[in-house]
Amino acid sequence: MPVNNTKHRILEASVHLFNTHGLSNVRLQQIADEVGISVGNLAYHFKNKEAITSFVYETLFEDLKQILSAYMVRPNLSDFDRQLNQYYDFFNNHRFYLIDLFEIERSFPDVIGLWHEFTGKMLLQIRKRIDYYVQCGFLVSEPKKGMYDTLTDHIWMTIAFWIPQQILKGQPLTVESFKKSVWAQFVPYFTNQGGQQYLNELSPVVVSR
Amino acid sequence: MKARFSIAADVYAKMLDGLNDLHQLDILGSQFDLRFISDDYWLGDTAVIDKLFYRKGAWEVALVFAHHKCPVKFIARRITRHSCPKKAAQIGHYLRRAAAKDQRGTLYVDINELNLPYN
Repeated sequence: MPVNNTKHRILEASVHLFNTHGLSNVRLQQIADEVGISVGNLAYHFKNKEAITSFVYETLFEDLKQILSAYMVRPNLSDFDRQLNQYYDFFNNHRFYLIDLFEIERSFPDVIGLWHEFTGKMLLQIRKRIDYYVQCGFLVSEPKKGMYDTLTDHIWMTIAFWIPQQILKGQPLTVESFKKSVWAQFVPYFTNQGGQQYLNELSPVVVSR
Repeated sequence: MKARFSIAADVYAKMLDGLNDLHQLDILGSQFDLRFISDDYWLGDTAVIDKLFYRKGAWEVALVFAHHKCPVKFIARRITRHSCPKKAAQIGHYLRRAAAKDQRGTLYVDINELNLPYN
């Protein structure tokens, strides 16, 4: 998408305002002011706020699709670490997804359906990564049936809700702390080989991006 | 919002399994795995001779692969069988041409190479 494209500017301004004020509190006038165009000009590109929201979500899901396509590019732990960087940027740039979760559920049933679909894919990817790490000998075999399913849920929760909980606690947001929190879930299950690879390859990466 | 392509969860899970397997399979093989290439390298320099045998009511086509310098190093393989001797001979001819390194048959076995003792 060209950088100077008006639609792109509207998209950026909308995401910024949604993140700041929440989806339901933003009016077309505010978006137009933020972009520096008239409401009439804005209406030329998007007939109403629903059209803008749909466009924002289309772009958002496109970004998420790109992140999901980066599954297992390399067969090591740092592959997941790279994906974590992308997840952090994504959830940090689209914080409004959570602030307005219940509003979205009520007003945009299609969007919530897509969230469910992508969440399902995220969970499956994490679960399959765990399976792969077990096969490679990085993680111990599942100590008790269902434990790795629970671990998958915990890792997903950390990825999706780490930013809101930091905001609630009034703690700073850094990608390093985010990744540390995710990797901390794996640490108890590492084999010697997995622990060694984590220390040698990932610890320095986790500390500095 | 535009209609999107979606994939069933179980199919997606199988795709991810496939990607996982890809990394498991895509590893370097050992020397042993490819030893058959060096072991059978001598077959590239063999004279191929087609032979017909009448056995159990049909003509069998066999190909003999003999090393052109060391004829005692050879293998024989039965390839196919036909009830008609002419057809068997014709098939044998074409099989020999297909199997031989040189289709014109310039690689041949010299009987002197066998060092047969005549006494």
